Amino acid sequence: MKHDITEKNNVTIVSLVGDVDLESSPEARKILMECVNLNRPVLVNLSGIGYIDSSGVASLIEALQTARKRDGEFALVKVSDGALRVLQLARLDKIFTIYDTVEDGLAGVS
Amino acid sequence: MPKASISGHSVAMVKQAAKKIPTGGDVENFSDHLELLALMGRDFAASMDIEETLNKGLARITRHLNAVGGALFLLDETGEKLCCTSCSGDTEITGLTLGGDEGIVGYCVQNNIAEIVRDVTKDPNFQQAVDKQTGFVTKSILCAPMSVHDQCIGAIELVNKVGGDGLFSEADLQLLQALSSSAALAIINARMAEALVEQERVKRELELAAEIQRSLLPDKRSESFPVHGVNLPARMVSGDFYDFFPLDDGRICFNLADVSGKGMNAALLMAKTASLFRCLGKTIHEPGLLLAKINAEICETATRGMFVTMVGGVYDPKTGHVRLANAGHEPPLFHDANGAFTALPAEAPPLGISPLLVEDGGFPETELDLKGGTLYVFTDGLTEGYVEDGSELQVDGLKKLIEENAALSAPKRLDAIIARINRDDQALRDDLTALIIEDSAQPEMLALHPGVEIIPSDGAGGEKQLKLKLKFPSQPNRLKLVRSLVSATAELCGCGQEASQDIVLAIDEACQNVIRHAYKDEPNGEIILEIRHNEDEMIILLRDFAKTVDTAVIRPRELDDVRPGGLGTHFIREVMDEVAFMPPPEDGGNLLKMVKRISHET
Repeated sequence: MKHDITEKNNVTIVSLVGDVDLESSPEARKILMECVNLNRPVLVNLSGIGYIDSSGVASLIEALQTARKRDGEFALVKVSDGALRVLQLARLDKIFTIYDTVEDGLAGVS
Repeated sequence: MPKASISGHSVAMVKQAAKKIPTGGDVENFSDHLELLALMGRDFAASMDIEETLNKGLARITRHLNAVGGALFLLDETGEKLCCTSCSGDTEITGLTLGGDEGIVGYCVQNNIAEIVRDVTKDPNFQQAVDKQTGFVTKSILCAPMSVHDQCIGAIELVNKVGGDGLFSEADLQLLQALSSSAALAIINARMAEALVEQERVKRELELAAEIQRSLLPDKRSESFPVHGVNLPARMVSGDFYDFFPLDDGRICFNLADVSGKGMNAALLMAKTASLFRCLGKTIHEPGLLLAKINAEICETATRGMFVTMVGGVYDPKTGHVRLANAGHEPPLFHDANGAFTALPAEAPPLGISPLLVEDGGFPETELDLKGGTLYVFTDGLTEGYVEDGSELQVDGLKKLIEENAALSAPKRLDAIIARINRDDQALRDDLTALIIEDSAQPEMLALHPGVEIIPSDGAGGEKQLKLKLKFPSQPNRLKLVRSLVSATAELCGCGQEASQDIVLAIDEACQNVIRHAYKDEPNGEIILEIRHNEDEMIILLRDFAKTVDTAVIRPRELDDVRPGGLGTHFIREVMDEVAFMPPPEDGGNLLKMVKRISHET
């Protein structure tokens, strides 16, 4: 798994690329929590996700809950088909705010 | 004309410090005096050649005050001798040296006061020997110290006034005082400028030395290289160093050392020791022997009292094996794969103390297997460095820092540790050097577990055709390969893309459960995965050899319960048409059976 963190309009945009599985999810969790801890709105770009498992989804949930506790914005953008399927299986596609594009996401969380 | 003698006067005459402002007949000269002061001030300020300027200045003063001769004396570096550096008029005594308190000049300099001796013949202590020898008759002397505030650097002395009674007046003395001060300032400034130039030169040389020193350090390697180091000098040059270089057989020779003391002498010994290590280390691969050789070389030529503490060793990335020798150095820390720390204390004295202490086999060696752990070698500049609250980091603080940054790559972790001590607001207390050797356990693990093994069908098994049988260790980093094999198998069995993805997810989650819950993250467990296929279903069997799990406690997560964890089992049940734990096999472990029906409409 690779990742990339950028900032735009005071929004942290973190892209996770590759497989988020048992091997890489501790790193994904760490990255997500770091982004949330910046106390700025966070957009997670999942367009490059090939595979995500329950541990990866758990990392997303933990980050979402931490952000919400602080009234922070946390949303997913450009969720890949594979990742969306897993979120649907977990019935989490309604829990997360999901935007089709980064621009929509920026408008939505700003 | 005979030359005058300026020395040899005692100071028993009437001495009067000039205090009055010029009055009466002196007034007409006053504006001339001011003009001279201004002229000389300008000369001194603009001077590039202080000697030439002083010569010119002294000649002007001598002429202006109508003196027959003048001399300028400067105190030497020790402050004990006065030397005549410049003369004008009929006096030529350049190079004449007096004791710091000799004669009227010495008296003026010692007491930092101006003197007027109207008639030296009335001085019972006046020695006329020189006058007699030269034929010059000294009548009157005017002398003023060259001083700025309390700092006196010499004096200007004038002899015999031309015309009149040949005696100097108080007004003359007052003027000479003012001119002397101005000369003193010029000399002090010139000396300071000279010192600055010298300082700059030394600084440039130090910069060159620092550059050479940096070139002795190894080049930065890519993140995946197992050895990384950092060296930050407290001053411009460093007494610490580290080095590592690969040997022909793939092993890596490394060292880290600390030369006693700081500054240039330590830096030079550092350069010598580093060169010895790099040169000898290429042919001598036994660390104990290598350090013994270096020790012998340093002892042969070392400056008395200087020594080097060093950790030198060889690391084999293929096996994780480290052989090292520690000569009086701070104990390296080994952080093993389970998180425990072990210190490796020195078993030999520092290098450069005594060649006799080395036994035939060289310095004692320590051997250890990193097994996926990390070795930290560092100087006391790290452990004795100050953290934010002003306390020393200490070894316990270092351990904590290592643990806190465990998730980072080795070079990033090293940077994070160093950053704790090397902060913008704080000068380094000592040279700071650290070396990290991070063993990736994979090569060794691969030797034990050859990745994912595909087990060929034995032809038995009957009606359910075996499509795939895999054996792999209970390690998360095998799952990616398992997933791709499962995905390919599902497609072979006629599954559509979504069904394939679902099967991959379910099997991956089931494998995770085995790794995390059955084997409890123990990496050496064995997992066997079988996929069988008949016309309309895929049957997946997952076998482990861990302690039998109580299947009653395994249940899917409640879906309205949004929290991390517990999702995997839900995924499996959601995706698969049948999920069942089979009765525990006779030889222990667990067997999970999953069935996925394949719809052939697509």
